[in-house]
Amino acid sequence: MTIKTLGAVLVAAAVLAASLPAGAQGPIRVGASMSLTGTYAKLGNYQHEGYKLCAKQINDKGGLLGRKVEFVVYDDQSTPATAVRLYEKLITEDKVDALMGPYSSPVTEASANVTEKYKKVMVTPLAATTSIFKKGRKYIFMVISPAEVYLEGLVDMAAKRGLKTVAVVYEDTLFAKASAVGAVDLAKKRGMEVVFQEGYPKGNQDFSGMLTKIKAANPDVLAASTYFDDAIAITRQMKELNVNPKMYGVTVGGDLPEFYNLLKQNAEYITGATQWEAALPYPGNTEFAGAYKKEFGREPVYHSAAGYAGCTVWAEAVRRAGSLDSEKVRETLLKLDTKTAFGGFKVDADGFQTAHKMVTTQWQDGKKVIVWPDELATGKLRFPTPPWNQR
Amino acid sequence: MNVAITPAMVGQVVISGILAGALYSMVALGLALIFGVMRVINIAHGPLLMLGAYTTFFLHSLFGLNPYLSVPVTMAVLFVVGVVLQRTLVFRVVDAPELSSLLLTFGISIGLVNLAQLAFTSDLRAVEYLTGSFPLGPFAVSKPRLVAFVFAAGVTGLAFLFLRGTRLGKAIRATSQSREVAMVCGVDVQRVHMLTFGFASALAAAGGALIAVIVAIQPEMGQIWTFKSFLVIVLGGAGNYPGALLGGMLLGLVEQGAALFLTTQLSEVVAYVLLVVVLLVRPTGLLGGRQT
Repeated sequence: MTIKTLGAVLVAAAVLAASLPAGAQGPIRVGASMSLTGTYAKLGNYQHEGYKLCAKQINDKGGLLGRKVEFVVYDDQSTPATAVRLYEKLITEDKVDALMGPYSSPVTEASANVTEKYKKVMVTPLAATTSIFKKGRKYIFMVISPAEVYLEGLVDMAAKRGLKTVAVVYEDTLFAKASAVGAVDLAKKRGMEVVFQEGYPKGNQDFSGMLTKIKAANPDVLAASTYFDDAIAITRQMKELNVNPKMYGVTVGGDLPEFYNLLKQNAEYITGATQWEAALPYPGNTEFAGAYKKEFGREPVYHSAAGYAGCTVWAEAVRRAGSLDSEKVRETLLKLDTKTAFGGFKVDADGFQTAHKMVTTQWQDGKKVIVWPDELATGKLRFPTPPWNQR
Repeated sequence: MNVAITPAMVGQVVISGILAGALYSMVALGLALIFGVMRVINIAHGPLLMLGAYTTFFLHSLFGLNPYLSVPVTMAVLFVVGVVLQRTLVFRVVDAPELSSLLLTFGISIGLVNLAQLAFTSDLRAVEYLTGSFPLGPFAVSKPRLVAFVFAAGVTGLAFLFLRGTRLGKAIRATSQSREVAMVCGVDVQRVHMLTFGFASALAAAGGALIAVIVAIQPEMGQIWTFKSFLVIVLGGAGNYPGALLGGMLLGLVEQGAALFLTTQLSEVVAYVLLVVVLLVRPTGLLGGRQT
């Protein structure tokens, strides 16, 4: 070996070494199938923006393991079958370095079969159905609270105030029923008596029969596991039939500004449940909301925050594991106990979320006030709810 | 878990059933008219009701018009929409096989719903005008539903007076009984068809206007009213106008009764079981339908 060739090798090695931290391996490519069009488009896009903001912030701070993070996103048109094909493609053709979850429980349920097959870790920030995580799957990780705890705040506040009886009604669909069953269990655990329980079909607009029975049962608490239009219809008809529980709470929809816009003062005293609020004192939450608005020109919703948090948690696990290796990241995620802008993150051995808390809100003088849990509350619960004619 | 059912509860549910039934009757009468006169099953009946609801909503929110005063205006607007639809599209299928009219009105229905989603978005809207109830002994009588009942009963009553008493009403009934004979007697059948479609749309619109004060509205609210109206006219006897009244009341009472004695989940099932039973026992409906 001549001096000249040795020199050339050394120079080559030096160039290689110098470029290693950032460029040599290229960016970390994170694959995801997203509902950018179709039924879930509105919410899927919020989640996508959460991912984008997360990647941008990681890159602005110098990347992950010295590499840039880059999302490879395909549109699944809100259909599980398409998402299955897309994850297969991401893993086998695109050979991405990591995966993030799609939007919604049905799409996640289908996609998880693919990621499990290839033993790829996937943080799934927008799947709230417990059963997805209780089928012995090893590589998926839940971020948001499950359906079963949506009414926990209402039941807990009622129990603390010595209320004894509760009526539970629900739209008879998968998610709403799960949160109603959860509410019944929680109420029984707290020594309350469930005096009435009934489902109603999706799209039902006349609740006279059901509310007449509830009025006769005269429960202290009415817990309604709703979507949105049913929450409006039930509330209006409660007033029409003069049904006056001491506490009345709904789940989905009760936290939306539209809920108050549609019901006006009739929304007062009603509680709603939500996964996240911009006002919550979680680490980095204010900064997240600010950066999000600057980046996308609109306020984040909980789907944005969950997507952002899911990506953040995954990045943190990679950082701690010092590797993108699926097994190592999985081990780290199982041990991870952290707080993000979205709240607590800790999972059990199945990847099922145990630390994240739902919050319960109440409409007070047209403002949405967080009334539960105590440590996050921005105001006190107004209790008891006065009869309709005194509101 | 079960709540003991008291007479007061039954009374309450009977009130609710009658209040709901009057609306069903009025809306279904429109569908019965179209079927009776043209033998067209109008799948777009519910979406026309939805347009009526939005008309009232916008008259109220943009121009501050009292939603109840808006009822005649909304009816007039939808009368015109109905006439235009008939003149441009529906007249083509009047003599065609029934499947053609089903397909055409199904298409109109999808078109109207999608246009509404584009124009109004799928956000829920509400006319927050009258809420709460009048206490009546042990019962609570919903204010918006009671007013809707009064309007529905009034409009339906006027519709019957019109059908019985006026020249045009008689022409409509004559066309419905036998188009050929009506033509021979000098009835302008094309004009009757057009006006009937207009009147039917106006009846749906009145329903929509009244419903907008009771529940929140959205572009897909109409379809369920197509089904309910269809149920009502088959119960009462398709094309039989008093049959629509009877069918509407029956549906209202049966739905509410089933929700009370069974569960809300089953109330729809019970309504359809009733339909099957009626069709088995009296295939032409309770009051007998128009013979083919």
